[in-house]
Amino acid sequence: MKKKILSLLLAAAMVASLTACGGSADNANSDQTANVPAQEESAPTNSDAAGEPVTLKVFSNLPDRTSGQGLVEQTLFDAYMDENPNVTIEVEALDDEAYKTKFKAYASGSQMPDLVNVWGQPGFLDEVMEAGLLAELNPDDYADYNFLPGSLDGFSKDGRLYGLSRNTDVMCFYYNQKIFEDNGWEVPQTYEELLDLGEKVRAAGLQPVSMFGGDKWSLYIYIHDIEEQLDGSGIMAKTSNAIKNHDFSDPTFKQATELFVEAVDRGLFQNGFESNDGGTAKNLFTNGQAAMYYTGSWEMSMVTDQDIPDEIRENIRVFLMPVPEGGKGDATTITAWHGGGYAVTESAANKEEAIKLLNYMFRPEGWTKIAWENGVCMSAQNFGDFATGSETEVQKQLMQLVADATDLSGTPLGDLGSSEFKTICEDKSQELAAGKISADDYLRALEAVGQ
Amino acid sequence: MSKKIIAGEESKKIPFRKILLWTILIIVAVIQIFPLIWLLDFSVASSTEMFTTGLLIWPEKFRFDNYVNAFQNGHVGSYLVHSLVINVLAVVCVLLFSVMMAFACSRMHWKLSKAVLGMIMLGMMIPIHATLLPNYVIYDRLHLTDTLFTLLIPYVAFSLPQGLFLTVGFMSSIPKEIEEAAVIDGCGIFRIVFTIITPMLKSSLVTVSIMTFLNNWNEFMMASTYLSSPKWKTLPFSVLEFTGLYSSNYAVQFAVMTLSAAPMIIIYIILNKQITKGVAMGAVKG
Repeated sequence: MKKKILSLLLAAAMVASLTACGGSADNANSDQTANVPAQEESAPTNSDAAGEPVTLKVFSNLPDRTSGQGLVEQTLFDAYMDENPNVTIEVEALDDEAYKTKFKAYASGSQMPDLVNVWGQPGFLDEVMEAGLLAELNPDDYADYNFLPGSLDGFSKDGRLYGLSRNTDVMCFYYNQKIFEDNGWEVPQTYEELLDLGEKVRAAGLQPVSMFGGDKWSLYIYIHDIEEQLDGSGIMAKTSNAIKNHDFSDPTFKQATELFVEAVDRGLFQNGFESNDGGTAKNLFTNGQAAMYYTGSWEMSMVTDQDIPDEIRENIRVFLMPVPEGGKGDATTITAWHGGGYAVTESAANKEEAIKLLNYMFRPEGWTKIAWENGVCMSAQNFGDFATGSETEVQKQLMQLVADATDLSGTPLGDLGSSEFKTICEDKSQELAAGKISADDYLRALEAVGQ
Repeated sequence: MSKKIIAGEESKKIPFRKILLWTILIIVAVIQIFPLIWLLDFSVASSTEMFTTGLLIWPEKFRFDNYVNAFQNGHVGSYLVHSLVINVLAVVCVLLFSVMMAFACSRMHWKLSKAVLGMIMLGMMIPIHATLLPNYVIYDRLHLTDTLFTLLIPYVAFSLPQGLFLTVGFMSSIPKEIEEAAVIDGCGIFRIVFTIITPMLKSSLVTVSIMTFLNNWNEFMMASTYLSSPKWKTLPFSVLEFTGLYSSNYAVQFAVMTLSAAPMIIIYIILNKQITKGVAMGAVKG
């Protein structure tokens, strides 16, 4: 009996301690908003006095500072520090998953870093903007920054601008032209041709399309891509409504999901694609083991990557998701969006200096020029201004695709809802890819979120 | 004659058994060691070679510059020092606390001794993830973020229940008469604990140290949440330095992992005998 009472007491104590922990986090949140005005007052004194040393803390999701976008970011920071000797920029970089966990921790603490990475998608940014964590930017500052139309929509709420968009991401198939020519294959014009091609490639002993299903979001982007081609226009609004109304009964959704399942069943993707990560999928393609690679324009730097054998990287070309039978899309409907970007936090210690740095990074000859000239990615600004004619074939192709585009799909399926929707959409997409659930189950699961 | 035959049979039989035993042991050993060989192998290859077919690869060119790169761009040197400092301190604290607490809870007579012991053991049930945010908020208010203590405190706290569990089990196997004799000879309580009991707990303490060390050496979740500047970053951060947004430099990551696995393997080899002893004895006397 004594023992029983004791164990009960212990259990009660544990529950109490756990709830106490949860409570403290909530308190901190409310305290933090109360703290904000105090910090605002102290901020101007720091930056007003020119020449006074300022340390800017940047929280980045680009851990590799020596190549790709991480290098572009670091180059800009170094240049800014050269021009403003009183400013020191401290970068803390974590990869996506760890970044998001730590972002939550920062958000519940008293002070956030000055400049942070954000994703201009409702799944991430809505909650952050609602919590008042980000500083408002002045849209007039960016009048001559040549941001592409619509590229800042995801970073705005109620007509207020909270962040700047970094890239234009276009989803496409990269393919190895030489392998195609040697085998007499042609770029598929319809979805059916793509699936047939997949079977031919498989018969030739190669993996058809390399896909990084381990990073689950690529899977729902593929489905979103088919929806865009089926629908022709306005798929983003349609998807947003479907999420809001818990109604995915529109035939486009079902058809697109089934077409994805068909591709899986007919072996379009490499074996084990549903668990392969980005690096594995990319290497399958850059080793010549896969004929195609389904990913985004951010991988255009493959062409200039010295680690990739010359005979492969010189033959890389792109094509878009072919239109399925009966689809209303054409070559001018592309699955593209403006995802990652930057924002200054409301509780930043040096808010004004951070905004200055942000503006410095995104002046047209900043991020846009460096990223484009190094073949790293397409910015969300008018990168065409910096076309020199000496770009790689892939760059030229992608630039043309964006220039010709009449309809951009916008933010993909999983990023249009809440963060809960994103998690469920990711997991269900992976289950769908692994053949554990049917297309109907998938759509029902999406409808059920938040109901 | 017949004797000889029997002897012959016996000598034949024994090698057969031995061969069987040895082959099984060798197979097990190879399975155990293979990941390490694989790690070493891939750490001198280039990233593109990794995705060729086959279990192991013979690199076209041995890339020892992966290691140079790891030290230069991955800050392996300084992060290794941080990891060592934090982990050694954590081990020392866990050992000290678990010996003292085990003695207090299992040998001293006071009302709540068993309840306190049970309470601490309950700590084993709390997952790290549940504590991440609350702890961050606490550290933030105490202005402790980005210091040595942000990692030391949770590392000790999470390893203590296990350490205590093993030490208590082991301590109960030490006869009480030894303490009584010590007391009769005029020994104070701290001398009993540290000069008489602690040496007898040697193998259990080695086990506790190894377990604490193993648990915390590769820990990244808490480190990435509580630390932000390079001041105290630990070894797992080195791997991250080579992680791109969409693809990573795997070869250098392998080199970093080889370097971070090395200290543990060395420690394990040195303390090998004590570990097996400690685990077995502590388990029986629980």
